[in-house]
Amino acid sequence: MENVLLKAENLRAYYKLEKVSVKAVDGLSFEIYEDEVVGVVGESGCGKTTLSNVIFMNMVKPLTLVGGKIFLKVNGSFEEISALSRDEVKEKFWGKEMTIIPQSAMNALMPTIKMERYVQHLAESHGLDARELIDKTLQRFKEVGLETSWLKRYPFELSGGMRQRAVIAVSTILNPSLLVADEPTSALDVVNQKVFLKVLMSLKRRGIVKSIILITHDIATVRQIADRMIIMYAGKIVELSPIDELLEKPLHPYTEGLLNSVLTPEPEVKKRGIVTIPGAPPNLIDPPSGCRFHPRCPHMMDVCKEKEPPLVEIEPGRRVACFLYAGERT
Amino acid sequence: MFLTMIKPLFKNKKFIIGFSIFIIFLLMGFLGPVFYRVDPTEMTWDYEQPPSPSHPLGTDTYGRDILAQLFHGIRSSLYIGFLAAIISLVIGTFIGTLSAVKRGLVDDTLMAVTNIVLTTPSILIAILIASYLKVRSIEIVALILGLFQWPWFARAIRAQLMSVMSREYVNLSIMAGYSDLRLIFEDLIPTIATYAFMSFVLFINGGIMGEAGLSLIGLGPTRGISLGIMLQWAVLMEAVRRGMWWWFVPPGLSIVAITASLLVISTAMDEVFNPRLREE
Amino acid sequence: MSRLVVKNLTKIFTLGFFSKRYVEAVKNVSFEVKEREIVSLVGESGSGKTTTARMILRLLRPTSGTIHFEGTDIWNDLNDKESLKDFRRKVHAVFQDPFASYNPFYPVERTLWQAINLLENTPSNKKEAIELIKESLFRVGLDPKDILGKYPHQISGGQKQRIMIARCWILRPLLIVADEPTSMIDASSRGGIIKLLEELREKEGTSIIFITHDLGLAYYVSDTIYVMKNGEIVERGDPDSVVLNPSHSYTKLLVGSIPKLYRKMEDI
Repeated sequence: MENVLLKAENLRAYYKLEKVSVKAVDGLSFEIYEDEVVGVVGESGCGKTTLSNVIFMNMVKPLTLVGGKIFLKVNGSFEEISALSRDEVKEKFWGKEMTIIPQSAMNALMPTIKMERYVQHLAESHGLDARELIDKTLQRFKEVGLETSWLKRYPFELSGGMRQRAVIAVSTILNPSLLVADEPTSALDVVNQKVFLKVLMSLKRRGIVKSIILITHDIATVRQIADRMIIMYAGKIVELSPIDELLEKPLHPYTEGLLNSVLTPEPEVKKRGIVTIPGAPPNLIDPPSGCRFHPRCPHMMDVCKEKEPPLVEIEPGRRVACFLYAGERT
Repeated sequence: MFLTMIKPLFKNKKFIIGFSIFIIFLLMGFLGPVFYRVDPTEMTWDYEQPPSPSHPLGTDTYGRDILAQLFHGIRSSLYIGFLAAIISLVIGTFIGTLSAVKRGLVDDTLMAVTNIVLTTPSILIAILIASYLKVRSIEIVALILGLFQWPWFARAIRAQLMSVMSREYVNLSIMAGYSDLRLIFEDLIPTIATYAFMSFVLFINGGIMGEAGLSLIGLGPTRGISLGIMLQWAVLMEAVRRGMWWWFVPPGLSIVAITASLLVISTAMDEVFNPRLREE
Repeated sequence: MSRLVVKNLTKIFTLGFFSKRYVEAVKNVSFEVKEREIVSLVGESGSGKTTTARMILRLLRPTSGTIHFEGTDIWNDLNDKESLKDFRRKVHAVFQDPFASYNPFYPVERTLWQAINLLENTPSNKKEAIELIKESLFRVGLDPKDILGKYPHQISGGQKQRIMIARCWILRPLLIVADEPTSMIDASSRGGIIKLLEELREKEGTSIIFITHDLGLAYYVSDTIYVMKNGEIVERGDPDSVVLNPSHSYTKLLVGSIPKLYRKMEDI
C-alpha cells in the first residue's frame, strides 16, 4: 500500500441520458503504483476513454459518477478526490498532481494561439510567475527534442509529431506525478510514434512524472513501455496482469482472442495465424447478463450466463474475471 | 422514402405555422378570384372609397375594387415566384451537377460563368432587360428574375456534390458500370434533395420580392396585376400621404406575410433536415 | 503471363488555376501481379499508394505510363461499352471506410444488386437473383435475415465490410484491390475479413492487391511486398526478405519503428 499512487475502488460512471444510462465504466477496482507504466487496452466503445475522464474527475454531463471511490497520493497522504467536485479537483490537482493528454490533443490546439500563450495561461491559472514557467518550458522543450524557438510559433507551423511533443512538454511542466495519455500515438505515423514513446519514457526516467497510464487499442504499442496491462471489455476489467506473463499466457478468453488478432511483422505471428472473435462488442445500455463476454466466448459455461465473474487474484499480481479459474483462487 | 423525409417536418412548430400562413395565401390566390367574381380592372365611379359592404377593401383612384385586385395580385405574385424558382432551380442544379461530375475544363468554364452572374448586380441587369422590352408579360418577368438568382445555389450544390463524389459509394457505383446520368440520378440528386427543397422555398421568396422591386420602379409586368403593381399604383397616386390605408396596407401586408412564412418554412426545414445528431 | 502489369506509372496533380503548382503523387511506378498472387503496396499516408490503386481501378487517369490487365491497356484499349463492362466485372475493390461505402439513401443490398446487374449471365428472374444474394451473404458468414432490407446505419462496420466481400463473391473478379480494408474496423473482426479475402484467392484464384500502411498485415498476407515512399517504390521482395532483412534505409526505419508484440524495442 505504501507505494500506491492512485487507487480506484468499485468505480462506476454512467452516461445518464434521458431514458437510458450507458454503463461505460461499471465497477472497476485497480491501483496504480509509483514508478510504473500501466497500459489500458480494449476495443472502441469498451469504456477506456471514459475511464480516463473518471480518473480525473472530469465529469461533464451526461457523464455521472454513480459509485466508487478514487484516492490519489498527494505529498505522502491519500486524498479522496471522488469526494470533491470537478472544479475543486481541477483547481487543486490538474496539472500539478496529474495531467492528461486527451485523444487527438495535438489537433485541438487553436491555430491562432502561439504555444507560448498556453504556458502563460497555465501560469495565470495556477498563480505562478509566467517568466519562470516559460524558462522552464524552454528547458523542457530541449529535453523532448524540440527547438526552443518553436515556443513562439503557432501550432499550424509544427508537424503532427512536433505538436504532440509540444503538448506533452507543456502539460508536464508542473511535474505531475501521474500522466494519463489517451491514444497519444494513433494519429501519428510509425516513425513519430516511436519518437513519442521515447519522450514519454525519458520523462519518467528523469522523474518528471512518476507513473504513466497509457490508454490505447494497440497492444503492440503498450507492450513496448508498459509494466502492467489492464484489459477492458464492455465497461469492465477482464484481466489485470504484469505484461510479460500476460503475453506468455493470457488467462481470459477475450485477452487471448485480442492477442491473437494482433498483426505485427514478426515470424511468430505468421506461425500463429490470425484469430477472430465472433460477434461484436455489446452495447452498454443493456449489456449481456452474467459475464459480458459470454455471447462471444469459446469456453462459455452455464454459470457465465447467470453470474458475473469477480476479478480475483489467481497468481501473485495477476487478476482475472473468469469462471474458468474459479477453482484456482489463491 | 420521400414520405419518411417529409414526416418529421410536420412535428416542427415553426414549420406548421409558416406552412399554414403560406397555405392561406395560396388558397386566397387560387380560390379568391373564383368566388369573388369582380373584375379587378373594371373602373367605376366609386373612386377612392374606404372599405364598405359593396367594396370590402375599398377602391382606388379609378374606382377599381381593391379586394379583387388583391386576390389577382396574390395569384400572379405566387405564380411569378414559383416560375422564377423553377427556372433558378433547373439552371442551378444543371450547372452545379455538371461542374461537380465533369470537373476539369467544364467545371472551370461553368464556375467562371457562375461567378460572373454572381458578382454582377443582378437587379441592374434585370432593369436593363426589363426596360428594353416594351411589353412584359408575367412570364417574361419571372424569366428575368429566374435567370439571376441561381448562382449561389449552383455553387453550393457543386461544393456538396464534390464532397459526395469523393465518397466511396460513388466509386463503387462507377465500378458497377453506372453512366454519369445514372450516377447523378441515383447517387447524387438524393443527397442534395433536401437542400434543393429548401433553396426552392427561398427562390420563391426571391421571385416575389424581385417582382415587387421591379414593379415599384415601374418595370414590372405591363399586363395583369401583381402585388408589386398594386403598390406601385398606390405610390404613384400618393396613397400613403393621402391616408388611403386600404390601398397600400393589404398588398404590403401580403408580401410581408408570404415572404416571412417562406423564410420560416426554410429555417424550420434547416432545423429538421440538419440536426446535429440524427437519431433513427 | 502476368495478370496485371503496371509500367512507369506516373500521376501529376495540378493545383491552382492561374499560378499552377504541380504535385507528383506517383513517380514511375512499375510492378506486376500474377494469377493467385497477393501483393501489398505498403506506405505511409502521402506515399501515393491510394492514387496508384485509383488508377488501376480506372477511376483516375494516369499522367503517363501504362496499366495492362490480362494483356489489355485499360486506359487506351477499352473503348466500347462492352469491353469496359467486362473490365469492371473482372477488377473490383474493397475500400477503407465501410461507412462511406454505402449510400445512406438505399438499403445495403443495393450494392449486391449492382453486382448482379454487372454479371455476364444475369439471373433470369428476380427469385434466382435473390437466391444468389443470399448465397453470397452466407459465404461471408452473414445471415441474410440480419442484412436484407436494412439501411447502412443499422449494421456494424464489420458487417458492412463483409457485405463488400459478398459483392466480390457474386462477381468473382480476377483482381481485387483492397484499400486498407481492415483499418477502420475493430481488431477482433479484422481477422475474419482477411480470411474471407484469402478464401476467395484459394477458391477462385483471385489476385489481390492490398493497399495498406500496416506492415504487419502486409507481412502476414502477401506473397510480394512493395514499399512506397513519396510516390516511388523503394523496396520490393517477398515478405521475409523485406521485413526481416530490409535493404533500403526507409524500410529499415519503418521496420525498426513498428512496435512488435513478441519483442521489446531496446532503444526506448
